[in-house]
Amino acid sequence: MESLFLQQTLNGLIIGSIYSLIAIGLTMIFGVMKISNFAHGDYSMVGAYTAVFLMAWVPGWMGWVGSIIAAAAVVGILGIVTERLIFRPLIGRWTDIDIIMVSIGLFILLENLAQLFFGATPQMISDPFKGATVHIGGVSTSVLRVFCFGFSCIAIGALQIFLNRSKLGVAIRATSQNRFAAQLMGVDINLIYTLTFWVGAALAGVAGVLYGTTFAVHPLMGAMPTLKAFVVTILGGMGNIRGAIFGGFILGIAESLGGNYLAMEYQHAIGFFIIILVLLLRPRGLFGAKEGT
Amino acid sequence: MSKRLKHRLRSVAVVAALLILPQVVQERYFLHIVVMAGIYTIMTMSWNLLAGYSGQLNLGHAAFFGIGAYSSALLAMKLGVSPWFGLLGGGVIAGFFGFLLGFPALRLSGPYLAITTIGFAEILRLVAVNWVDLTRGSLGLSGIPLLTPIRLGSWGMEFYFERDYYYVVLAAVVFTYFCMLRFTHSEFGVSLQALRDDEQGAQSIGIHTSQYKLAVFTISAFFAGMAGGLFAHFTRLVSPDTMSLHVTFDTLTMTMIGGLGTTAGPILGAVLLSLLSEWLRTLEDFFRMDIRLVLYGFLLILTIRFMREGLVGVVRALKEGFSSYGKGRNAGGDHD
Repeated sequence: MESLFLQQTLNGLIIGSIYSLIAIGLTMIFGVMKISNFAHGDYSMVGAYTAVFLMAWVPGWMGWVGSIIAAAAVVGILGIVTERLIFRPLIGRWTDIDIIMVSIGLFILLENLAQLFFGATPQMISDPFKGATVHIGGVSTSVLRVFCFGFSCIAIGALQIFLNRSKLGVAIRATSQNRFAAQLMGVDINLIYTLTFWVGAALAGVAGVLYGTTFAVHPLMGAMPTLKAFVVTILGGMGNIRGAIFGGFILGIAESLGGNYLAMEYQHAIGFFIIILVLLLRPRGLFGAKEGT
Repeated sequence: MSKRLKHRLRSVAVVAALLILPQVVQERYFLHIVVMAGIYTIMTMSWNLLAGYSGQLNLGHAAFFGIGAYSSALLAMKLGVSPWFGLLGGGVIAGFFGFLLGFPALRLSGPYLAITTIGFAEILRLVAVNWVDLTRGSLGLSGIPLLTPIRLGSWGMEFYFERDYYYVVLAAVVFTYFCMLRFTHSEFGVSLQALRDDEQGAQSIGIHTSQYKLAVFTISAFFAGMAGGLFAHFTRLVSPDTMSLHVTFDTLTMTMIGGLGTTAGPILGAVLLSLLSEWLRTLEDFFRMDIRLVLYGFLLILTIRFMREGLVGVVRALKEGFSSYGKGRNAGGDHD
């Protein structure tokens, strides 16, 4: 009984780390540009397909690590392209509705382009560790999941260092806090926009490889990460990066435990139940930033 | 006065054309598409009232459609209620859920409201999938009864043919259209637009914004539920997919492309996109793939980028272009 609890918590932590990774990009983009990007999960989908193609070419763990890097590169470029072509032209005259609609348009477009080019059948990224498992105490998990967790944590840690230590990182945070003040301090706001989208999309791409290896890869897989990332982002307060990290873990564990002890069928709805509660009680999220929207 | 007369004549012509349509084109498949377009028109008009006129970004509209469809089907199948009352019942039950969803909307806006409404629809979809005793789960309800025949002397409607459904759906569309027109061209509609443009400002001049929000959610949900009921008795099959995100996305794409916040936009969008997507299906052999949704996404992005009032805005711009062309100015715009 106790080991089951530990096991589920561990599973939750691992999947939660992937949620965090996706949500960080979403929350950064929201913080800096006030864009709610409903196509964010499709960056993960494209990342996952990058891995499918690369690993058909270079199998094994080398291919897997290589495809994580490749996914970051490919999806990073996709992020910049979408920012430039779709979001940037709307700057200055958008409303919430416009922004959400245009991102839904992008979501529909990417999802169906993927269906055209990659076909509708789900594909598997073969486990680079050939299904090996590890046992610690009373719990066990696959080596793959340990690596997924490890990669997520490394990426999150690296981002934290970048945001806190580097000049550009500080500029991103400054823009997120107050765009005009940042501009007055000589921050090139357009560069920050591009950079934010690049980093955010690349993180989602990496997460896509991890997510796709754990589950399956198909053109419609982006919807779920999008919704989960939004749940996490709202949980942590939109624009709040630290909130997104904690929010991801909270959602992962809540889903895992809730799915096990409450109702498996409603596992994917648990996040929505939580945010409806949170929004009714604390409309700015658990780690509520003072200014939002 | 002559303008008004012209307007009247045009309305009469449109209605007459719609009434004879099934007599002219008798192909059942075509009529099926037109009926579905009509059902979607009710969806887009009701969504437009929420999103276009009151600025409430509801991304859970499919839930109301599904609630209406399931309620209407179950009332007829389990309780033996006449489908005609079932349509109304489906609308009322959906309206009740709309009222409930109005409460979070009192405090939330923008992305927060969008996600809450998506969550609402996803939770209901999962209920429909898992409450197998009532809904038969993912299999869906099948064998939903047809609308009961109407007999008036020698004239009657049997509802074995698409043609009969066509007239019922046409009546429903016209009814919804006039209701929307009443709502939007009244104090109620003006207050909604004030609420959309400046909530605090609206409050400060004495508009009870919370009452208006609850009212508009209820009304919008009622019509979406009615559309769901029509769908149930027409296709005779209701599955949890009726509540999926894609139904909402289809609805909003049609509305946006037609013209958000305009009277004609939702109708134009729903009808044109329904016909367009059927036409694209015939081209499938040529493209060797289904490019319908790719086009939807593409058009949606273009609409927001270049023509914020959708097709209605384009038509307006063209008209202005033509009239100013006569005065020797440059015609048209760079709209495609």
